[in-house]
Amino acid sequence: MTRADAVSRFGTLAAGVAVFLGFAVASEHFLTVANQLTILRQVSFLLILSLGFTFALIAAELDLSFANVASLAGVVTGGLVHFGHSSGLAIAAGLTVALAFGIVNGLLVTRLKIPSLIATLATAAVARGLAFMATDGVSWVGRWDPSFVWLGRGKVLGVPVLVVWSALLAFGAWFAISQTRFGVWLTATGEADEAARLAGIPIRRMKVWGLTLSGLFAGIGAVLLTASLSSAGPTSAGDFLMSGIAAVLLGMTMFTPGKPNMPGTLLGTLLIGVLANGLVLVGAPYYAQDIALGIIILGSVAISASTLTKAAFGL
Amino acid sequence: MPQPILELSGLTKRYGAVEALTGFDLAVAAGETLAICGDNGAGKSTVIRIVSGAQPPSAGEIRIKGRPVRFASPADALSQGIATIYQDLALAPRMAIYQNVFMGSEILKPTPVPGLRVLDKQAMREAARGFLARLRVEIADMDKPVEALSGGQRQAVAIARALRWKADIVIMDEPTAALGVRETRKVIDLIHEIKAQGITVILISHNMRDVVAVADRAVILKGGRKVEDIPVSGLTPKSLAGMIMRDDAEIAADRENQALPLGGRRGE
Repeated sequence: MTRADAVSRFGTLAAGVAVFLGFAVASEHFLTVANQLTILRQVSFLLILSLGFTFALIAAELDLSFANVASLAGVVTGGLVHFGHSSGLAIAAGLTVALAFGIVNGLLVTRLKIPSLIATLATAAVARGLAFMATDGVSWVGRWDPSFVWLGRGKVLGVPVLVVWSALLAFGAWFAISQTRFGVWLTATGEADEAARLAGIPIRRMKVWGLTLSGLFAGIGAVLLTASLSSAGPTSAGDFLMSGIAAVLLGMTMFTPGKPNMPGTLLGTLLIGVLANGLVLVGAPYYAQDIALGIIILGSVAISASTLTKAAFGL
Repeated sequence: MPQPILELSGLTKRYGAVEALTGFDLAVAAGETLAICGDNGAGKSTVIRIVSGAQPPSAGEIRIKGRPVRFASPADALSQGIATIYQDLALAPRMAIYQNVFMGSEILKPTPVPGLRVLDKQAMREAARGFLARLRVEIADMDKPVEALSGGQRQAVAIARALRWKADIVIMDEPTAALGVRETRKVIDLIHEIKAQGITVILISHNMRDVVAVADRAVILKGGRKVEDIPVSGLTPKSLAGMIMRDDAEIAADRENQALPLGGRRGE
């Protein structure tokens, strides 16, 4: 590996370590076990949603609906729990709604040939509208079934169960992409769809899969978020759009530069979690995080421009 | 000719009111290297699109080893042993060599989990290296992205994929179009290598020097019709180019003089 190669693969990681060490020096609370676990717990929702977004981006499609779909799925799950239905039914309903949005996104892109940028922007608006319609704009909060709340707040051997869920999902996503035929086909579809088609890969089905998984992961994130907050509101996952995109784009600057990849998404998410947490600890104003996210997005896109242009405009 | 490996009879392709190919007949012997030549718009690409399964014909029949076949997709043609190497190579530039060779037909291995099979990357790397070795192409790192290869090496990767499919018939669409002199020579060597393995090659080329260098026989298309079907031995690039450029009156006169039926074969 040449030096330039090493910089492009691991440069972001090195910068992340520097940021981490900077916060460790700047705030005495940063390095405590409690705070590190807080970071992991906080990034778990972001990670799960970002993993889904990565699946779609690997197939060269953008899913701008994942955050609003997650809010809607959270409202569906939370509403059913809130009004006394069984947790199982509530979770199944939330996941089904998110899955359905993913499938619809996939069909809009592959059957009606609507660019994913536009299609998912539109379904995002629909999801948001439905979430407000269902809740009348308020959040449901309550003392919910403890077994449901455990999914988001429990601990397994002292480790927050959220961290366990997100680790399992991250492993599953990495495994699917790098070790299975499904992963190579999804990658080939995103990298060179015509070449993939000529090699006999069903590219339309792969694109539907990419967007469907994005929907499904949004649903899983929504269920866990709802359980963890024991509340559900029409915009509860809305903030994850920007930070999720920033995390995945940041991940694209790592390991396999210019390509969306699951380890990159994991580290990108952690970095953004560290940044958010550290900025609070050092007393930065609340808007500093938004500015930082914007800069991260621009900086990452500058590095990975071609892949993103293709995903956004099909070029 | 013994039982041809590939026969096309009466192939016709219409795009709206335009007839791009009219009543095209062809028989290709196993192991033969056939060149399809013609000016732009002569119908060469149309023949390729039909035989590779990318488009169905409007009329006519394709037979492989005497059996009529119909292709709904390139995957169908592949499963019948016809692999097409397109002008733009149809490779994924940023994916590894071995991933390109095995694209769409990956080698899997079982895991302790019942029903779960994973990629056997090591087997694919080794097999890809083996296919390239059969083409006398040595590349050390099978994980290298295809975009890092030279034009000739990329052709080799595309051909290695055809070998992977165990194709009996390899169609090459303008394999040297974008290449310099040295890389072109490498590709000509590659074609000789696949010929030597008994694989039938159908070559589409503008470059008459390439055709004379590798083909056994040349078919010349003009305006969607076959106007010549001749053995290449004894021809020069110039005489072949002359045949492509001749106008219709000359061809008709020539045909009357020799009293050959349309599409008849000289020199047999």
